[in-house]
Amino acid sequence: MNHLDLAYKKYMLKNGLEVILHQNKNLPLAAVNIWYKVGSANEVKDKTGLAHLFEHMMFQGSQNVPKEMHFRFIQEAGGTLNGSTTLDRTNYYEKVPSNFLEMILWLESDRMGYLLPALDQEKLNNQKDVVSNERLERYDNQPYGLAWEIIITNLFPKNHPYSWPTIGFMNDIKGYTLEDVKSFFSKYYSPSNATLTVAGDFDESETTELIEKYFSEISPYNNIHRPDSNSPQLNEIKTITHEDNVQLERIYLAWITDKAYANDDAVMDVLGDILAGSKNSRLYKNLVFEKEIAQDVSAFQFSGKLTGMFMIVATAKPNVKLDELKSEIMREIEKIAKEKVDSNELLKSKNGIKANFISSLQHVDGIADQLNSYNFFVGKPNYFSEDLKRYEIIEEETISKTAEKYLTKPYLELRIIPKENPAATGQEK
Amino acid sequence: MSLDRTVKPFPKDEINFSLPAVESLKSNDGLQIFMAHKDNLPLIQFNLVVNAGSKLDPEGKKGLSNLVAMTIDEGAGNYNSLQLSDQFEILGTSFNVSADDDLITFSIKTLKENFKRSFDLLKSIINSPHFDVKDFEREKRKVLVRLLQIKDDPEEIADILYEKLIFGGSNPYAYSTLGNDKNLNNIEVSSVNTFYKENFFPKNSALFIAGDFNREEIIQHANSLFENQNDKKTGNFAIDSTEQKETRIYLFHKPDAAQSEIRIGHISDKRNENDYYSKLLMNNILGGQFSSRINLNLREKKGYTYGAFSRFNYYKDAGYFYVSTSVGTENTVNAVKEILFELKEIQNGAKKEELAFSKSSIVRRFPSNFETNKQITSNLISKYVFSLPDDYFNNYIDKIENVNLGDINIAAKENISVDNLVILIVGDKNKIANELSQLQLGNICEVNEFGEIIEE
Repeated sequence: MNHLDLAYKKYMLKNGLEVILHQNKNLPLAAVNIWYKVGSANEVKDKTGLAHLFEHMMFQGSQNVPKEMHFRFIQEAGGTLNGSTTLDRTNYYEKVPSNFLEMILWLESDRMGYLLPALDQEKLNNQKDVVSNERLERYDNQPYGLAWEIIITNLFPKNHPYSWPTIGFMNDIKGYTLEDVKSFFSKYYSPSNATLTVAGDFDESETTELIEKYFSEISPYNNIHRPDSNSPQLNEIKTITHEDNVQLERIYLAWITDKAYANDDAVMDVLGDILAGSKNSRLYKNLVFEKEIAQDVSAFQFSGKLTGMFMIVATAKPNVKLDELKSEIMREIEKIAKEKVDSNELLKSKNGIKANFISSLQHVDGIADQLNSYNFFVGKPNYFSEDLKRYEIIEEETISKTAEKYLTKPYLELRIIPKENPAATGQEK
Repeated sequence: MSLDRTVKPFPKDEINFSLPAVESLKSNDGLQIFMAHKDNLPLIQFNLVVNAGSKLDPEGKKGLSNLVAMTIDEGAGNYNSLQLSDQFEILGTSFNVSADDDLITFSIKTLKENFKRSFDLLKSIINSPHFDVKDFEREKRKVLVRLLQIKDDPEEIADILYEKLIFGGSNPYAYSTLGNDKNLNNIEVSSVNTFYKENFFPKNSALFIAGDFNREEIIQHANSLFENQNDKKTGNFAIDSTEQKETRIYLFHKPDAAQSEIRIGHISDKRNENDYYSKLLMNNILGGQFSSRINLNLREKKGYTYGAFSRFNYYKDAGYFYVSTSVGTENTVNAVKEILFELKEIQNGAKKEELAFSKSSIVRRFPSNFETNKQITSNLISKYVFSLPDDYFNNYIDKIENVNLGDINIAAKENISVDNLVILIVGDKNKIANELSQLQLGNICEVNEFGEIIEE
């Protein structure tokens, strides 16, 4: 029995809404997961963060669902719910006892079709405050919290769709008007720009009818702007130093690489494992275990629909210079770009990845999201086995070749260092 | 025909949920074993817990239990630290060991086909850890640097400091699992070895397994898991908690903080089956979830915060109640006022609809607590730690359903105090101290990271 072969049904409503159904009867639960093909990449200058703002506004009620009741109805049913925003898409999802599936379809369709009539200035002001606080809590008031923003704004060319943070810049958040929000909604939240996945314990024909009942009356609209696909390049090494309220210095190195599910994407995942994925990985062993010049080190591929990046991050132990960390990192990169990796290094990474694939099938909501993700990126919801194969076919030589292809090119270097004269004197009376 | 959207669809017939069957038994040498079989995927999760958490750290050696957990997998049996890590990795098995206040927990997730080899590795870690001085010193340096890093993070500062303030002085739960600089420097590898020998034996431990295992195989393995057959607990452990007699406000100065971390609460009883359910429901109404009063007020109405919640935090031998949130600096005092308002308001009782909502949300969520192997083992671990009855999960829903409005009102009156609060704020003193003192709630003390008062 191949656990990674998931049976599904995919079809489209007349209004363009794509539907994916997957039955899983392990528990009497149903997961609903909608991907809207809109992420921060669809935003424009001075209006960053709008896609993420919707992740808030969509929980503020719609024409037939009073404010606060969206959450209440689902929590009352014992369900869990949330949404998330990335560069390329926004998702909204719920997991409920399966007898409440119809209610979820009602709620999701109401906010897909009838959000705007219930939107007002008061709700917007409230959620602008909440999002400002989210930004403060998760970024501005976090040690190293601005690193990501600094990296993407500098790694990608100015105005590239990936060159601003999904949460949005604070000034942009404060400046959204009701008109901005309405016009953004009318561009991107058409049923024809979304995919609805239902996974879990449900009756297929009944659910098909319910989906028709609640979603088919929503009219589509077609003025959808898609960000240009291009492959940005970094032409020279860029170095940035940023002062923060931190005790330890940290270095970030970022290279532009390949986009999600492209050939080199999986190779870079494995490269991340070999460099820093375990105790005996090259950078961890060298920097953290043996030389003890770093407190931690990580290396990973991060990729989206348009492009991707590979990042190495290391935090210096007290009194260690970032130059020392950097030269060790560069030495390891040089080495892995030249010499074939050991067969065991590769096998460890592959086995871990395989186990994680199986393990990820334990949550029905995780399955629903993955079906949507594969559908979005490669057009095939049941891509689990093929996805795993991307990793299984990687050979020892491929790792060094791919490392050389990307990591010997210009990179962005960010150093976060403690503030020179911290206000933290602690002396004032 | 057009659809009437104004009516919320009714749920279909009730669902059929059956709990995973749990078998509990004892190995020949007294190790408790809890098993829940599930065969939809070829996976096994197993956890070994040892009653050796940081509450057992001796005076002057706070941080010892955590160092045991950090060093125990740095080489064991035939493998040194890196080889041991490789052994797990090559199996695709994820292995983790960590210490908290009550327990040291080993957590292992493996494919069914690699169960035996993974279990053998655990056995080797339990019985023949190297505790090499070089590895120990490296791990200790890691903790010392970690302590330094915590100073950057207002949320972590608040969490650690709050337990210090609320438990006070010599209570073992007052200390962070990580320990502190002074104490860590007193700890040597010999202390680690002694702590390990005193605590790692079958009667002081329990094994939890969920997934697609073979029952007989598990019993056989469990019988030979421990070589140490010690059966007496030597560490002494006493709770000495001082009840707070007035409200105190503690301020930890974090210059330039963009937000204030707020914690408000007080000591509460440890977990007990008699009032657990009424307290759970009452807190669910007050601040346990998104749609609870506190979050709706502070986030959805006032926009002060990204989220605000309350909970009863239970350890094996202690408990406390607290509200936590993080708000923009300018709203610090307003947020404190609103939290105090909600604590007072719940003393007037809850509404029928609120109770019905809370019951429904907890009862209906119950099945989704048993979806993954890890959820199942972690549920079983709570059952073990709090010595819950054998039929705990079977009776859970009935116990929730049996709580009435009168019980909620009693639970609020008896378990939520508005007079003897410990209020902690981690934020920029210069921007909040004045306004805070105008509240006239009680003394405001500035504290350092050890909870010591530096200015009154």
